[in-house]
Amino acid sequence: MTPPLTYAAVAVFAPVAAALVLAVLYPLRKKGMPAAVLTIASSSAAFVSAVLLFIDRLQGAPPELATVPWIQSGSKVLADVGLRVDGASASMLVVVTLVALMVQVFSLGYMHDEEPPAFGRYFAYHALFLFSMNVLVIAPNLLQLFAGWELVGVTSYLLIGFYFKKPSAARAAVKAFWVTKFADMGLLFGLLVLYVASGSFGWDAHLEPATATLVTLLFFFAVVGKSAQFPLHVWLPDAMEGPTPVSALLHAATMVAAGVYLVVRANPLFEQSEFTRTVMLYLGAGTALFAALLALVQTDIKKVLAYSTCSQLGYMVSALGAGSMVGGFWHLTTHAFFKALLFLAAGSAIHAVHSNEIGDMGGLLKKMPLTGGAFIIGSLALAGFPGFSGFFSKDMVLEAVEHAGKVPFALLVATAFLTAFYMGRVVFVAFFGAPSARAAHAHEPPWSMRLPLVVLATLSVFGGAFTTPFAALQGEEVHFHLTGGAALASLFGFAGIGLAFFTYGRGPRHEAPGAVAFVERMSNSHAVNRFYEVLFHRVALVVSDALAWTDRYIVDGLINAVGYGALEAGRRARPLQTGLVPDYVLAAVIGVLGLAFWSASS
Amino acid sequence: MNEHLLSIIVMAPALAALVVILLPATARLAIRVVSLTGAAISLAGSVMALVTYDRVASGHQRVETYPILPKLGISLSFAQDGWGGPLLVLTGVIIFAGVLASWTLKTRDKEYFSLLLILVAGVFGVFVSQDLLLFFLFYEVAVLPMYLLIGIWGSSHEVPADGPFKAAWTLFKVGDKGYAAMKLTLMLLVGSAAIMIAIFALYVKSGATSFDLEHLAQTKYDRSLQIWVFPLVWLGFGTLSGVFPFHTWSPDGHASAPTAVSMLHAGVLMKLGAFGVMRIGMVLMPEGTQFWVPVVGAVAALNVLYGAMCAMSQSDLKYIVAYSSVSHMGIVMLGAATLTPEGWNGAVFQMVAHGVMTGLFFALVGIVYDRSHTRSVPQMGGFATVMPGVAAFFTLACLSSLGLPGTAGFVSEFVVFLGAFSKGHYVWATAGILGAFVTAIYVLRATRAIFWGEGPNRDFHELTDARTTEWGALVILGTGLVILGMWPRVIFDHIDAGSALYLAKALASNTVAIFGGVQ
Repeated sequence: MTPPLTYAAVAVFAPVAAALVLAVLYPLRKKGMPAAVLTIASSSAAFVSAVLLFIDRLQGAPPELATVPWIQSGSKVLADVGLRVDGASASMLVVVTLVALMVQVFSLGYMHDEEPPAFGRYFAYHALFLFSMNVLVIAPNLLQLFAGWELVGVTSYLLIGFYFKKPSAARAAVKAFWVTKFADMGLLFGLLVLYVASGSFGWDAHLEPATATLVTLLFFFAVVGKSAQFPLHVWLPDAMEGPTPVSALLHAATMVAAGVYLVVRANPLFEQSEFTRTVMLYLGAGTALFAALLALVQTDIKKVLAYSTCSQLGYMVSALGAGSMVGGFWHLTTHAFFKALLFLAAGSAIHAVHSNEIGDMGGLLKKMPLTGGAFIIGSLALAGFPGFSGFFSKDMVLEAVEHAGKVPFALLVATAFLTAFYMGRVVFVAFFGAPSARAAHAHEPPWSMRLPLVVLATLSVFGGAFTTPFAALQGEEVHFHLTGGAALASLFGFAGIGLAFFTYGRGPRHEAPGAVAFVERMSNSHAVNRFYEVLFHRVALVVSDALAWTDRYIVDGLINAVGYGALEAGRRARPLQTGLVPDYVLAAVIGVLGLAFWSASS
Repeated sequence: MNEHLLSIIVMAPALAALVVILLPATARLAIRVVSLTGAAISLAGSVMALVTYDRVASGHQRVETYPILPKLGISLSFAQDGWGGPLLVLTGVIIFAGVLASWTLKTRDKEYFSLLLILVAGVFGVFVSQDLLLFFLFYEVAVLPMYLLIGIWGSSHEVPADGPFKAAWTLFKVGDKGYAAMKLTLMLLVGSAAIMIAIFALYVKSGATSFDLEHLAQTKYDRSLQIWVFPLVWLGFGTLSGVFPFHTWSPDGHASAPTAVSMLHAGVLMKLGAFGVMRIGMVLMPEGTQFWVPVVGAVAALNVLYGAMCAMSQSDLKYIVAYSSVSHMGIVMLGAATLTPEGWNGAVFQMVAHGVMTGLFFALVGIVYDRSHTRSVPQMGGFATVMPGVAAFFTLACLSSLGLPGTAGFVSEFVVFLGAFSKGHYVWATAGILGAFVTAIYVLRATRAIFWGEGPNRDFHELTDARTTEWGALVILGTGLVILGMWPRVIFDHIDAGSALYLAKALASNTVAIFGGVQ
């Protein structure tokens, strides 16, 4: 194997080795800390090899491939598994392994109070997650990508349900799995259609226009689930029941971005369908605004960030719909850094005040300057403040969308305003003003939690500098230039921050302003969630009860009736067996006469 | 030894059963050790048979033939085809794990283990038989001990009756182990009767000279004969593999059966049914198959979705797993009905995948039932706190059941759907995929209800995790699921060789008539 393929192999197999060892050697897991050390070591190995791979790819070498046949049927190879090394996979690998490593280091401190076996289990799940994600990222075809896709779904389920004793966490885990699994049927169908149409699971097939639209729409359905787009976004806010570092890794930076990555990978297919891209353009922009509105009224800091993630994923989807693969992908990357930063900083604050409510925080910047600073940096990057990484990627997104349509562009600009506003609200309420009772004794966390904040904050600030090489790696030449649209969005961003300051910056209030009360009502009744609940309880379960009843009483009833009928027939026939010889002789005589009569007549 | 390997695999459990019968009933450990040894010999032999099968040469290997009644053309004839290896290993694994899972049995263990071993000898026999009559005899040997195993060692559970049929239901004693055993046996025997008619029809019409399957396969039967004989084979064998509407013995039977019996029955015996439909029905009667396959496929698709929907409504843990078997066996028949290499490979792979998975499920259910003395899911909760190992394996079984990539279930389901799609059977495939989604709903709901949530309440103070021999069973089956899912080629290439051999025959519409009198 060539060096790049070796790096890729290490990135995939180091985590799975750790996961296997932890699955088999229960004592390691039971002690807790050895499991953490092993997982972090394997993630470090994966990260280092990902960086080496990334550097190697910067030289501009052509993609490399190493595959083995996975299933052979009817003497032809149905599917391969293996590694594909190119600009996209190398970039994504760095993002995933870096954030994973940071989150794992952060967890050392954050999860410190867990019982050792639970601590070990937590890290075993993390190793499994990194393996699954890397399988997805490095996939040489869409079938392997699908396999990784489903595996990250399972690790997400396990990690959301990490506090499985808590009924709300248990419910959230199952809900997340169901919703994403429902959407995944789209990917499965899409793969089947693709295979029948093109004879492979590759993403470079040329399809009939109608087939291309069908396949990409089916794929996009799965993206809607995984990347929490309207109307399948309902699982993501609930997923915040998981430990906060998990939210940072899976439900902000990497796993939810898998949907965007799928589109980046299958871009040659998506390019063949104008219709699908238009759907993406509008649905993404709509989700961006819708989720930003919901973020406005949350009082739980994690929920704000969760809806913000939905919203930012909407940006990415919209960019992909506008045909800017590199814009969506770059926003994925910067978002991974600053959203992970925001979640980890939020985790650090939650860790200090033992509450998720922003009303319980307040004045934290003074008590925890590093955490507060990190959160503010993350917020500025998220709001697209000029110079921060988010500014550059948002600019690329907005530029692309502006060319594609005025309506989605307007939606995204409005979202930029709301984003700045809701992040400003959190910052001013939680980190400025007078400390609340709970926040009075808050203090900075241990080094294991501070280090990841510093690393991610640095990337959130300076990440924008990598815009051009990143784009070059995706085979596109991008030089940053400020467009009118992006400038407009920045202005709206300033306005949002300003409004937040005037609303929250000067007093201890933290409730939503009256102007958005209607959003609050919408949020409380949350019609989409209600709809699924009714669908499940009033339709699916009722149908299933009816079928089960039919099975027991009608289908099985008929079979029992046959059995019972046989018994009854026997009972009725029994009196014929009288035991009296004359009766039998009579029967014999009748029989003989009958036979004689029959043979005579024929 | 190699040329007699198949005989050894079949005879080892039978001999072990004989030894167990001769042992005194008080020698409880000896009984178990002998049983486990018998199972181990078969398992080792099966693995050897799998590994040393020449895939390139394909076809029938290790042929052994001993004439019994030359005049009628009956012989004791064994051979291993591509399918043989994987199915033998499956059977070996399940009986080995089943003996381990029954280690703590308390009543009449001598009779129990001997019956279990006789049963499994029958299963091994079916998978390697080259003689139709022998095939049928082994089939009956495998099916009949079930009556005693459920009737004596089973458990009774009140299925709450409701609705307008309540009175009738109380009359039938549904949920009683005697009822379940009788129902299972009678339904399967009616199926056997249909098979027997079919066997004699095929034998007589081929010239009444030989029961050899190869000989029969070369016979070209009348189209009209095929059209009325095929449904007999399909429904006769199909009853055992849970074909709708003759699946209703399965929930009651599997719910009442003791752990290892459920494992064997759902894990291996149900496969005999599907195997029979493919190996006898489809291979011997291509035209009948062509005629009936739309019905077979539609019913299979119904099985998948209907079984899953019924499972969702159950509150008895064993009924959930039993209905899931009905659903998953639908995948096997669905694959078979596509008549494509993908479909057939997927069908046979699913036999193995489902066998391992449901074996694991029933082993786990047995452990939970043994500790908690209830099968009612709503009464449970928070068990993961005290039985984390069981919870982990249960989750693994669930994931395979819903077709997660990386577990065995995915491979078979995906390949079957691919076969269905490539033939344009979109409705079948859609029903199958929806069925897999419904599976995700009910298995995870059950997992949450049993294992997650607040710790177990005071009714369950005796809960413990799996113990020594139980761990053995769980680890073997769980590892199997992951290995098959990660690297399916450990058996897939074998299966492919077998499918290529038989599918050619099932698709042949102009087989040459070698023997006269047959048109």
